[in-house]
Amino acid sequence: METRNQQDMDYRSVMKNKQKIVVKVGTSSLSYPKGRMNFHSIEKLAYVLSAIRQQGIQVVLVTSGAIGVGAGRLGLTHRPKELARKQALAAVGQAELIKIYQKFFEEYNQTVAQVLLTKDVVTIPSRNQNAKRTLTKLLDMDIIPIINENDTIATYEIEFGDNDTLSAYVASLIKADLLVMLSDIDGLYSADPRTEMSAEIIHSVLEITPELEQLASGAGSSFRTGGMVTKIAAAKICLKDGIDCIISSGADPAIVFDILQGKDVGTHFVAGKINMINHA
Amino acid sequence: MKAQRIVVRIEISTLISRDGKINRRKMDRLAMVLTNLHNSGKQVLVVTSGAIVLGSEKLKLPSLPDTQLEMQATAAVGQAELIRCYQHHFDEYNQIVAQVLLTSDIICYPQRVENTRNTFNALLEMSIIPIINENDPVSTSDIEFDDNYPLALIVADIVQADFIVIKMEMNGKYLIVPKGRHPALVVDGETELQEKLDTYCQVLVHEKIPEKAIFPASIGEIAF
Repeated sequence: METRNQQDMDYRSVMKNKQKIVVKVGTSSLSYPKGRMNFHSIEKLAYVLSAIRQQGIQVVLVTSGAIGVGAGRLGLTHRPKELARKQALAAVGQAELIKIYQKFFEEYNQTVAQVLLTKDVVTIPSRNQNAKRTLTKLLDMDIIPIINENDTIATYEIEFGDNDTLSAYVASLIKADLLVMLSDIDGLYSADPRTEMSAEIIHSVLEITPELEQLASGAGSSFRTGGMVTKIAAAKICLKDGIDCIISSGADPAIVFDILQGKDVGTHFVAGKINMINHA
Repeated sequence: MKAQRIVVRIEISTLISRDGKINRRKMDRLAMVLTNLHNSGKQVLVVTSGAIVLGSEKLKLPSLPDTQLEMQATAAVGQAELIRCYQHHFDEYNQIVAQVLLTSDIICYPQRVENTRNTFNALLEMSIIPIINENDPVSTSDIEFDDNYPLALIVADIVQADFIVIKMEMNGKYLIVPKGRHPALVVDGETELQEKLDTYCQVLVHEKIPEKAIFPASIGEIAF
């Protein structure tokens, strides 16, 4: 663990050279607490990502929220427990979500595409190659692919389970150089910020140790499936593949601009340092 | 009388005008008729295609893509346009729709078939019309360009539908294909579709369609 210092800033300098980024946005960044869509946030996100794409950086968006949006559309007040119902809601919600994204991205003249994935895209080589080619092609066409899990048809053996993991696999698949996970928490804290006054954001992480994993499972909200545990697991996948990963607050999507300018926001999982530690 | 389940197979290019844009009036009419069918007590599922055609339009491509890769990328763009279009038109009649993307190899995985059947049942129970298409962007099989009949067949099998209705490409007429050995019916426009389906439903209710009755395996096998 390190407190903010020149070393952290040095690690961040790589952000200015990023060419291909994956941005994962969580339900909390897209909806209000009761589950209705936050159009202001979505519009801002569309603006930020379109602007980044305009600068010549390739962008992939991994979205969540299909089930919640579906529930909202149908006027349901709580998430159903039954699998078939959840999947039905996802089918309704995904259609709404992609429509809304299209609408907002269109305002900024940015074409988007919808790609729904299941885990066999990772595990089956032919599917893997195929998805990689399709995504690469879309990126080459200056299109922003909007990816989600194909919740409607995913069964246990082919589900990712959470979109944090999905976003890491996507980053790996397309050989992105940065994954940004926008969340309802500012970053990884040294202790639970809700109960510990002394809790601080950890600015840089070079290696995910068992201690760090334990820390993550204690802090942060866990009633949503995307708690800190899944984010750490996603970061681990990134580090293994040499991809920088940042966890930061999604309250204002403009934070992605800050990140790409190398500003020290959120927690940076620094790629390429694991070997250095082991040899120290 | 149990609700009759109908899989309607729509080729979007039948609804596209010479200038390459979707014919809004026809789309509107279609949405109205299908919603009406639904409101009259039938359970309706739509199997659509057209993602590539719409994608090409959106991307202003000089011609339709001809490599697998280009088709998949174009389909990823076009599918979003397609579902948006369905939503918009069905919304006018207060009908909620859902998007379901399948790969046709689903039939090789009984567990997934079961799971998908449950999802379709849940949607139909909630009075939602599923709009189904092949998940072209990730599919590894050859993209079926113009003929989603195999997919309609798969869906009809999964949900144990009673009818498949096909909007024919060449003349825009509808073909009502019942399960089992009864002949298919050609009907002219949307209004006739409603009436003829109602009548045929009545006819079939009085017959006993065996559990194992199946649909013709291909368009060529449909008997009139």
